[in-house]
Amino acid sequence: MDIKEQVMDLIARTLEVSKDELSETEKLYDSIGVDSTEMVEMVVALNKHFGVKIETNEVTKYSTPLQIVESVQTKKQ
Amino acid sequence: MDRIAITGIGVVSAAGLKKETFWAHLKRGASCIDPISRFDSSLYASRIAGQVHQLDCFSHLKSRLIKKIDVFSHMALVASEQALKDSNINLQDIDKEKVGVFMGNALGGWLFAETELRDMYIEGREGVSPYMASAWFPAAPQGQITIYYGFKGYSKTVVADKASSALALWYAGKTLSAGKNEFVLAGGMEAPITPYALLCANTYGALSRNNLNPRSAYRPYDLYRDGFVLGEGSGIVVLEKESRARQRGATVYGFIKGIGFSSDGFHYSKYRPNSDNLEYAIEEALKDAGWAKKEVDYICLDGEATELGDYLETQALKNVFGKEIKDISLSAPKSMYGNLLGAQTSLDLISTILSMENNLVLPTINYEVGDPLCDLDYTPNKAISRRIRKSLIVARGRGGINVILAVEKE
Repeated sequence: MDIKEQVMDLIARTLEVSKDELSETEKLYDSIGVDSTEMVEMVVALNKHFGVKIETNEVTKYSTPLQIVESVQTKKQ
Repeated sequence: MDRIAITGIGVVSAAGLKKETFWAHLKRGASCIDPISRFDSSLYASRIAGQVHQLDCFSHLKSRLIKKIDVFSHMALVASEQALKDSNINLQDIDKEKVGVFMGNALGGWLFAETELRDMYIEGREGVSPYMASAWFPAAPQGQITIYYGFKGYSKTVVADKASSALALWYAGKTLSAGKNEFVLAGGMEAPITPYALLCANTYGALSRNNLNPRSAYRPYDLYRDGFVLGEGSGIVVLEKESRARQRGATVYGFIKGIGFSSDGFHYSKYRPNSDNLEYAIEEALKDAGWAKKEVDYICLDGEATELGDYLETQALKNVFGKEIKDISLSAPKSMYGNLLGAQTSLDLISTILSMENNLVLPTINYEVGDPLCDLDYTPNKAISRRIRKSLIVARGRGGINVILAVEKE
């Protein structure tokens, strides 16, 4: 699985939504009802899984899975 | 004056996860205490409890929410849903700014807390769930209920050991009388069957150690009593003014009519070795309710099952009621499902109003050998038929927080 697929998988598992329902441009806050604590939960899981260091205060900037994928990809380089 | 009406019931306990099963168990006089098996409890002095085994089967919550909250909030949300459904309130039709939530518990949510603290010491701060901060503290269930239903009315959580939910119920009624709320969800929840909470409860020292005989371990007023048995669960009721309840044609189970409270002011964990302060609280409750002593039909007892606790309670009843105590039915139904600490009075309230509904006095179970110092009729082992209209409920917290609720039907 490439990074994008792994991130999408992790987001879907954390939020307990089906992977098919989760598009890259889904509005996490507005359409899935994610709250900031869930975003922190996701960041902690991403940091652990990829060995990267996304700061928890960065999460407020992300509103779609694609932005999270890009952030992980940048940090992995 | 407009009385405070009870119009909905929700219950989660070892004796049942809805009011019908709860009542069915209690009227049979069946013990629901069993050995603690969800973690290794073999080194605990007391390792039996009234446990809720199948919460998930009765839960309406999504797993995405369940993982964010402690089990004490989960039990409270299940009980709240039952109470709201039972009350027949249409949530679309009411002003949610005028719906309050008043809850009581003594310990907070330790299963979540201790698991995360363990992770913190092993993995460091990143090992801690971000939900820890909002999951463990005593007001968490109140917050979760308000968020779940969007209730925005005046709300509070009371922590006062075994009198917590008694005080929460009373505060709830006050906000209704003052017009601050139109409806209130009130009651309590407790989840003490966790490794750390059980340790603390054991250290307190009033728990029964009769581990080999779980079903007969909790024996209030019996000569061979050796302490109470812990229970877990939640009891939540819907409260509203009598006029509001009548106006919408609600089923009214009963009314909270008065309260009396006092504090022993003596020691952080022991009772004052005389019953004066408890007597004062009973007298105050009668005065607040405007009842004569001979009007009381039933008293739901504290039944701590310690040598001193049961003796003091018996003394207080004798001193307040004199010869008339013989005409009042007494019992401690919690001997069947355990003592829920901060949530106990809400369960006592529910069993009392169901007793009034069914004209049946629930028994104190495991009463076999009389104690000359506790020589009243505690309705041993078998329920008896009796018309009950006016009842008192005794709640006593550690160190002597005495709260007496007066409840009536019709």
